[in-house]
Amino acid sequence: MDPVISIQGLAKSYGSFRALRGLDLEVAQGEVHAFLGPNGAGKSTTIRILLGLLRADEGHVSVLGQDPWRDVVALHRRLAYVPGDVSLWPALTGGEAIDLLGHLRGGLDEARRAELVERFELDPTKRGRQYSKGNKQKVAIVAALASEVELLILDEPTSGLDPLMEEVFQAEIRAEKAKGRSVLLSSHILSEAEALADRVSIIREGRIVASGSLDALRQHTRTTIRAVLSRPPADLAGLAPVQDGRLDGSVLTASVERDQVNGAMATLSRFGISELTVAPPSLSDLFLRAYGDGTAGDEPAEPSPHRRGAHRRKR
Amino acid sequence: MTGTLTGVRPLLTVSLHQDARRIAPWVGLITALSVSSVLAYGWVFPDPASRTALARTVEGNPAFSLIFGPARELMTADGFNAWRAGALGAFFAGLMAIGIVVRNSRANEDSGQAELIASGVVGRNTRLVVAVAMAAIASVLLGVVAALVTIAFGGGAIDSITLAATFTASGLMFAGIAAVTAQIGSEARTASSLAVTVLGVAFIARGYIDTSGAPGWTIWLTPLGWTEQVEPAAANDWRPMLACLALGLLAVLAASVLQSRRDLGMGLLPPRPGPARGRGVVTAWGLALRLQRGSMISWTITFAVLGLVFGFLATTIGELFVQNPGIAQVIAAGGATTGSLIFEFLVTIVRLVGLIAAVYGVQVMMRLHAEEDELRLDPLLAGSVRRARVLASHAVIAFVGPAVAMLLGGGVIGLTAAARSDQVRAVDVLREAAVAVPAVWVLVGIALATVGAAPAIRAAAWFAIVLSFALTILGPLFNLWDWILGISPLWHVPNVTAAQPDWSGPLWLLLVALGLTLVAFLGFRRRDLA
Repeated sequence: MDPVISIQGLAKSYGSFRALRGLDLEVAQGEVHAFLGPNGAGKSTTIRILLGLLRADEGHVSVLGQDPWRDVVALHRRLAYVPGDVSLWPALTGGEAIDLLGHLRGGLDEARRAELVERFELDPTKRGRQYSKGNKQKVAIVAALASEVELLILDEPTSGLDPLMEEVFQAEIRAEKAKGRSVLLSSHILSEAEALADRVSIIREGRIVASGSLDALRQHTRTTIRAVLSRPPADLAGLAPVQDGRLDGSVLTASVERDQVNGAMATLSRFGISELTVAPPSLSDLFLRAYGDGTAGDEPAEPSPHRRGAHRRKR
Repeated sequence: MTGTLTGVRPLLTVSLHQDARRIAPWVGLITALSVSSVLAYGWVFPDPASRTALARTVEGNPAFSLIFGPARELMTADGFNAWRAGALGAFFAGLMAIGIVVRNSRANEDSGQAELIASGVVGRNTRLVVAVAMAAIASVLLGVVAALVTIAFGGGAIDSITLAATFTASGLMFAGIAAVTAQIGSEARTASSLAVTVLGVAFIARGYIDTSGAPGWTIWLTPLGWTEQVEPAAANDWRPMLACLALGLLAVLAASVLQSRRDLGMGLLPPRPGPARGRGVVTAWGLALRLQRGSMISWTITFAVLGLVFGFLATTIGELFVQNPGIAQVIAAGGATTGSLIFEFLVTIVRLVGLIAAVYGVQVMMRLHAEEDELRLDPLLAGSVRRARVLASHAVIAFVGPAVAMLLGGGVIGLTAAARSDQVRAVDVLREAAVAVPAVWVLVGIALATVGAAPAIRAAAWFAIVLSFALTILGPLFNLWDWILGISPLWHVPNVTAAQPDWSGPLWLLLVALGLTLVAFLGFRRRDLA
């Protein structure tokens, strides 16, 4: 099956600032694909190119097999978008905004619209200027989910939603997925992505630095071990394959390659294990690892190929 | 009192710093207005003969006193300056003050910035006081700069200072009025429109009273009449400015009472729930109509009212011509008829109406830019809508709205004038208004082209209107060369009652407007959205 979104070598600059530097991204049909990265990494720029709002400088972009810059009208009938920072028309009511956005996409599912307004506890008679941030977000979410489309592009859709509504949102996204719809979910809320996503892509400074299913990504990451030992070792050097050990009284925190958990157990059993937690890496571990060595500012705006190589070796 | 005003100083410093770039152009514009008339006077009217001729021309077309007020003294540079820059400078100073107050009070509430400030260590009245204080500082600064620069370029000290003081006085009055409207409207746009409406009514009322030969006391009915009563370069009487000061203070007090009675971010009227379903507003066209509806209605009413006012004026000036010995001489010598003089006045009025119609059209396009700027085009264009359609939905309103307004204004002027005098034919005025429409479209087209293709330079549209105003209304007075006068699109509009009207002008204008429209659509299709 063809991917619903396919991006290769995408580059986009604003003046001298290079927002995207050769980004590759693929979203398969029927999957929820989490697009992760901190503020300013290039998530929204990518999404606005996918919507044809910005023009790509370089690279190939295809959405549902079409060109987002040229085939606007036909393409947008098949997708719905929730912006991260919803700006509603101050004088239009929420209900009017939902109907407007739905009609522009080629129609709303009336039953679904009513159901969603109910579930998200939205008052559709209020004016745009009266809504709080979370309620504005709900208007955009209802409009998108009530549309009969193949692809949902959601840019940090839950910023401003309360935990109860976040639950409702996650349930609705699962329902959409069950109907066979594809979802690109940009987020920096990792628990949300972990709960919903089949695959994730992590973006850093305009490039994808990790991509794949959560399982596959975990392959490259070590499992975390926390053990309370009755006879803690005096020296952490000879504990292989246990790595990065840190001893706090009798509590050892360390990591181990996924395929060597067995060996680690054997090693640790010599020190008398009284308590043990073995945790696969969480998404936030993966995320921190992708961002681990330094902050976003450590790379110059336009790194030379040489510098970039040096950077990679350091990592 | 200190409790409600805590934090004025730090907030004022920051706000002034932020707003300086938007205040400076106004100070520059109004100062240039005053300086240029002092400079141009000696150059264009070097001898008494040319100055007498100037006075004759100004008397001959009451449109001048409508816009600039009565000319009291045209034989000196300072008198000329007081006439040419007085009423206009007061008007622009009012606009400047309204902009400052609304930006720093109401607009901040819309953007949520006010909430951030209000949560800090600031008193209840602090934000309003800061906004008014900024307008007051800007008005005083304007007065000082305009006076000093005018004197530096050869203006008389007392006359220049008095003239500049009237600018300050006007700024103070309208700062107060804007402080009140900022409490009434539920968003910045409403607050500005209300204040600008008050300013416009005050200006037109002053113009009407000056031109129609109304009794002298009536000039006190409009605040802009007070600054006129100062008579810079003639009486130099500062007392009427006390009334300006009093009005400004009273208005600010009223605003502070009103503010204490409403919630942050809301107007005086509580918001009412609206329809839960979108009936008409389900297409890009419907949305554009809905967004522009309020401004279309108020502009259309404005043009009907302007039509009535100017129409009445056209009939009263006929009598003034007869009473004026100089003009009576011209008529007696067969150089003109009362009818042709009245129509000459009407042609100028129609051009003025055309400039106002251009403001309407430009405002419509700027609204579209605001939609883009506030990221409301994103969800729209993420729908199954071509960019061209979104641009077209506003462009059609920007072209058709002002055209309808022109015909309405022209029609009402014609009918009102024809009903009270047999010197004017209604259909002539209507035709004059119709042939001026292409010129209006060129000015609107500049806004369309910049908003569509290059929004960074969209201020060019406002600049074009100001330039066209200067060239169309004042250019002929200065005996400027035709190629300079021709920069204004309105110069190419023929007088339809002429023996052989030249129709090529409007045709060229249509072509230019079409070209600008093409630029807009091609550019909007190709560029990144904000």
